[in-house]
Amino acid sequence: MAQQVVNGVFIGSIYALFALGYTLVFGVLDILNLAHQAVFMLCAFVALTLVESLHLHPLLSFPIAVAAGGAIGIALERVAFRPLRGRANSNIAGLISSIAVATIVEAVALAAWGPDQQRFPFGMIPEAHARALPGLQRALGISVTVVQIIIFAIALLVLAALTVLVRRTRLGRQIRAVAENPTAARILGVNVDRVIAAAFFVSSALGAAAGVLYGVAYNYVAPDMGRAVELKGLAIIILGGMGSMPGAVIAAYVLALCEVWTVAAFGSSYRDVVSFAVLFLILLLRPRGLLGAAATREA
Amino acid sequence: MVGWLQEAWLTYQSVVAFIGLNAILALSVYATLACGQLSLANAGFMAIGAYTGGLLTQKTGLPLAPILAACTAVPALVAVPLGLPVLRLRGVFLAIATIGFGEMVRLWFVNWDYTNGALGLVGLPQRAGPLLVYACLGAAMFALWRLRGSRAGYALESIRQDESAARTMGVNTTAYKLGMFVTGAALAGLAGGLEAHLTFMVSPSGYSFSRVVDMLVYAVVGGATGVVGPVVGAAFLTALPEVLRAAGSALGVAPGPLRLFVNGLVLLVVILFLPNGIASLPSRLRARSRERRSRAAPAA
Amino acid sequence: MRRTLAPALASLALLSAGSAHGVETVKIGAALSMTGAGAPYGPNQRAGLQLAVDEINKGGSLKGIQLELVVEDDGSTKEQAINVYQRFINRDKVSVIVGPTLSTMATAADPIAQGSKVPVLAVSNTAAGITEIGDHIWRDSLTEKQVIPGALRRAQAKLGFKTAAVFYGNDDVFTKAGYDVMKASLETMGVRILGTQTFAKPDRDFTPQLTELKGLKPDVLVVSALADNASAIVSQARQLGYTGPIVGGNGFNSPAFVKNAGPAAEGVLVGTAWNRASTDPVNVKFIEAMKARGVNPDQFAAQAYTGGLVIAEAIRQAGMKGGREDILAGLAKVKSLDTPLGKFSFTPGRDADHEPALQVVKDGAFAIVQ
Repeated sequence: MAQQVVNGVFIGSIYALFALGYTLVFGVLDILNLAHQAVFMLCAFVALTLVESLHLHPLLSFPIAVAAGGAIGIALERVAFRPLRGRANSNIAGLISSIAVATIVEAVALAAWGPDQQRFPFGMIPEAHARALPGLQRALGISVTVVQIIIFAIALLVLAALTVLVRRTRLGRQIRAVAENPTAARILGVNVDRVIAAAFFVSSALGAAAGVLYGVAYNYVAPDMGRAVELKGLAIIILGGMGSMPGAVIAAYVLALCEVWTVAAFGSSYRDVVSFAVLFLILLLRPRGLLGAAATREA
Repeated sequence: MVGWLQEAWLTYQSVVAFIGLNAILALSVYATLACGQLSLANAGFMAIGAYTGGLLTQKTGLPLAPILAACTAVPALVAVPLGLPVLRLRGVFLAIATIGFGEMVRLWFVNWDYTNGALGLVGLPQRAGPLLVYACLGAAMFALWRLRGSRAGYALESIRQDESAARTMGVNTTAYKLGMFVTGAALAGLAGGLEAHLTFMVSPSGYSFSRVVDMLVYAVVGGATGVVGPVVGAAFLTALPEVLRAAGSALGVAPGPLRLFVNGLVLLVVILFLPNGIASLPSRLRARSRERRSRAAPAA
Repeated sequence: MRRTLAPALASLALLSAGSAHGVETVKIGAALSMTGAGAPYGPNQRAGLQLAVDEINKGGSLKGIQLELVVEDDGSTKEQAINVYQRFINRDKVSVIVGPTLSTMATAADPIAQGSKVPVLAVSNTAAGITEIGDHIWRDSLTEKQVIPGALRRAQAKLGFKTAAVFYGNDDVFTKAGYDVMKASLETMGVRILGTQTFAKPDRDFTPQLTELKGLKPDVLVVSALADNASAIVSQARQLGYTGPIVGGNGFNSPAFVKNAGPAAEGVLVGTAWNRASTDPVNVKFIEAMKARGVNPDQFAAQAYTGGLVIAEAIRQAGMKGGREDILAGLAKVKSLDTPLGKFSFTPGRDADHEPALQVVKDGAFAIVQ
């Protein structure tokens, strides 16, 4: 049904932003950053606070929250990952370190904002739930609100900006170089530390963007909002291939549409099983995912 | 005086029992960490053990001992076909695959009508107590300790240090890794069975990803290079919320966030500065003082 | 209300000194969800219970007995609920336990109270199988089985629906129990269930399921969900263009639902154990007193407040005695007690026995459907 496709594409866009951040850090540092979902959550709260307490216009609070996310990412890298870089088991240690940070951030959020869900104020975006082009919608048999269209547009814009960054700019090339081979990159004169910090900035900014959009889309901002997305995100980056950014985007939409189709065909009890089943199968049959190139077996 | 002790025991016996349980769970994570593998599947194995135990108690009249044996054996059996393909994956991918397994187990139980789905099994008789839990813990610790000192233990350590080197030296890495994976599953299943008979119920919500994160935290904070470490970690972190209750209210922070915050902070500090856990503290201090002494005294 | 050992021992001494000295303190331990999944309901429960205890103590209707309320957070997890119960029973030596907030915790912790022979008065558990745990477990909250059929019948009388779509949370005891009752009632009423969908508590995106259900074109959408999910479900249903009526289970009975769903909540029908529009003086005074304390009372506050009244009555019926067995015996004798819920009695199965009502959300608040 057309509406289900719309549903899938919509949530897929948000997943894509989130997964991109995940996969970017993995590609560059070979580390799974489980604190990503904490940034996702925290920046949703930041945006909420900006709108509610400082009465900032939502379109203004979005970039501020995203920038805050980036800054948090840099701090995160400095505190939790850089000290571990020399170690032999740095990816496991990094994973554990990121879990620790995620726990701390969640605790702070709980203490600061309480456990209850919060929502962005009604009427924040004028006529938030009005339908756009109602005639066209009726003809297609779908229902899309203005808010959803705005979110989708923002997601696409961010994706486009990211593509430009990675493919066309020097920083993007440097990031790719470090991801490929940090030692070689350093020999070639790349300031690896700075590039890693930049990668974290971008990654966390993406997570923050996903968080704010998610919070607005589902009117749900709470300290536990990262949990469900975190595990879906894992499935997505595995499916797309760890370290592959186009892979993450494609996988995000594929997974979202799969989920929606599962619900339509089989009922929703097994909706989440789909992501994990996919994750599992991919890891067993084709660990590099759709577009990944990282080594996934033992040497 | 005796009355006060009795009263304290009655009040805190469940905390004491939970410490023991969490220690067994920490050991189950340690089992795989001992050969360098990070497996996060143990919440799933724990669930399998718990449901096995609960169902057997509900449907059969078997005594507790064979039931607990089943709780240990069934997850171990599941771990074999799971482990063979999964243990071929490296580091992070193994971790992710095992997370996926754990979640699938949980979702399976949430949706399975035979076990009452989300409600789970309720009204189980309380057949286990702190004594039994600590007996099992003691047995597990002993077994693992013997393992460490044996030839198998050395093989495991070599795998943990450098797997490809170990393989070149003729160590059957696949067999060892699978063996520890299965051991971890068995321990987690035992803990699950014990918990089911301790808390009157088995519910899928208790076996989520955060549960396995807790287990990991116990093992890491305590120190995953020895048998005592995980137990220390579990004791420390299980008792912490109770101890902090008073401090938290003085600060005006709810106990939930405070416990979470301290867990996270302790884990972060440990992983950054004390990667071998709290249990490694004494040996580190000893090494530090030895160093100081040798620097102070001129070479003979 | 943090306890340390010394005051506990002191009150222990006081209790044993007891009635001989004039003022006896009877402790009520309330295990409520202040954090976690039950958090939308806990604070109001505490407020209601505290109000009842304060009023009873001030009014002096329990000659020579002061009630003392100890409240602890069960974190909406069964481990914490069990720990809290242990503390209440063994350290604080309470005479009666109130709670826990969610049925899931009750199934884990109540057996302990039963085993230790401490009476429990549930004030918000609505799933099946709670009072069956034992003869010390009582409740003043109407079960879904008691509220939903009446609510659905009244709704049908008003709206005349013949087909329905059902949506429920399958990972929570309470919402699943609600679903079972909804399904049975609808079938008894001869309403055809066109389709059923499920969701899980952590879900935020319900559009795929709602799209499916909407496509079936049902006359009514029946939903069993906790407050957080409920508000998202209703918002998204309206967003997708579903304009038909929505009937909700007990989880909808929360100001949090109305607040978070905003305009989408208008017109939603919910069965309730508490008729807030009742002009009964006990009810009116209750609402005023709560508002004076800055709390907008909801069904959970009303049931908790009633719990306090019931316990006081039990003490009275036991001959002004506040021990555990006294309260147990007294509960059995509570009959037609005047409470905000109406005239309250227990059924032979120790469940609540009073008339439920139907509400509709109008202008951002619950209004009773007469």
